[in-house]
Amino acid sequence: MFALIKREVRDHIVYFIGAAAFSAVFIIMAISILHNYDLRRQPPAFSIVLGIPALTIVIFGICAMGSTQMYLDKTRKISALLSTLATSRNRILLARVITGILAILTLLVPLIITAVILMRFFTLLIPFPMFDGVVFDISLTVFLMAFACYCIGLQSGWNSNPLTPSLGALCLTCILLPLIIVKGFGLHIVVILVLFIVASLIRTWHTFMTTSL
Amino acid sequence: MNDNVVVVEDLVKYFDGRCVLDGINLKVPRGCIYGLLGRNGSGKTTIIRILLGLEPPTRGRTFLLDAESTELSAKLHGRIGYVAEGHNLIQNYRVGRLIRLCKDLSLQWNDEFFNHLIETFRLPADRRVKELSIGMRAQLNLALAMAIDPELLIFDDPTLGLDTVARRQFLELAIDLIQQQGRTILFCSHILSDVERIADKIGILAAGKLVVDCPLEKLKERVKKLQIIFPESAPTNLNLTEIINQQIQGREMVITAANWNKQKQTVLETFRPSSCNEIPMSLEDIFIECTKPITGSIES
Repeated sequence: MFALIKREVRDHIVYFIGAAAFSAVFIIMAISILHNYDLRRQPPAFSIVLGIPALTIVIFGICAMGSTQMYLDKTRKISALLSTLATSRNRILLARVITGILAILTLLVPLIITAVILMRFFTLLIPFPMFDGVVFDISLTVFLMAFACYCIGLQSGWNSNPLTPSLGALCLTCILLPLIIVKGFGLHIVVILVLFIVASLIRTWHTFMTTSL
Repeated sequence: MNDNVVVVEDLVKYFDGRCVLDGINLKVPRGCIYGLLGRNGSGKTTIIRILLGLEPPTRGRTFLLDAESTELSAKLHGRIGYVAEGHNLIQNYRVGRLIRLCKDLSLQWNDEFFNHLIETFRLPADRRVKELSIGMRAQLNLALAMAIDPELLIFDDPTLGLDTVARRQFLELAIDLIQQQGRTILFCSHILSDVERIADKIGILAAGKLVVDCPLEKLKERVKKLQIIFPESAPTNLNLTEIINQQIQGREMVITAANWNKQKQTVLETFRPSSCNEIPMSLEDIFIECTKPITGSIES
């Protein structure tokens, strides 16, 4: 399994570098904006200014990673070779998904750590109301959103017709965005995302297990 | 433990509504070298891909090393060496990296033997697979398949693209492997002289069916090509079954018959031929006769 994960990471190292670079740039921008803004006069609008384009880049990037992994496998017949070695299709797919999770964590973990430190620091200076689990809720939701996008990428990369997964992604966005705007981050979003991820992974697994390699 | 390493039961495969394999039954006993022959598109590669679980069958079941192909575990895969037609290697990898990957994903790796092969074939570790010639790719694929000390070797046209020297080296390697007891080889090739040299048992696929499945010696005994001269014009029908091919020219008739025996000889003699001579046949001649549209079935 370790050899399979190592292969996936090496083959898609550009996404890991991209995730780390994006994370670094985002942290620098966040610190710089926080430093220059007078938080006592202005609300922390930087979260919206930075958040929306950042989330878009994350969603497209992660989706592209899943799609590239599957597309390159299909065109280069990588699994056709690997599955004749001492491994199985299950393990190949599992290694791929673990690699995707690792890429998402490479992106999110530094951001979460920075967010926690910054929030601790600024809430000491300017106390503004905030419930305890906000960082956890936002982090979990963003992680699940990124993972859901990754699953869509896996599906569209293997399908000859990527329209269905793209429509699925559009539907998901249409449901999630109003929910986040109306109700904020929380359990309901997490449940929807988990259900979507499970359905998407089962579909990908079934296709990958039954298709010709 | 089953004595048959490869078992194919009533295998049917359709591609886009076209029947490629039509009820194939095949058994390869342990230690046997089975030469699977057939013209281009006859379904040899499809059988191998279904056996390895790379392609789902339309109907029927296949087994490798006592396990159903659709449920082959990683451990079982580790006991099977496979050389694919077209040498299906990851093209953008460097040779060294591909070797490391295969080594990491193997249950056992015979370094000494592998290095010997790499030196014999003079394969450069720093070049990308796509930069290698077809012959070098074939050699690399062979070396990778052999390095895992497999119990079962499946070769799908392994000498395709190899020059004469490399082909001879490969055959000698295969013979070395044969000498190691318990090894089983399933071998597809278009080079019939290679198959004739190493195979114990032969299967010939034609029109989706396995028209021949018997030991090589028995095949040569059973398929007869006869030149028969009649006193007057040759009869159009000899009322014999399993006639593979028949040509009539005036008084002369040339027939190729499967499962030739005394009964058939007696039926032939009722037509009172002036002479009946056997024409010697090589495996290539038998293959050409068997893959013509109308064929009989020769089974052990």
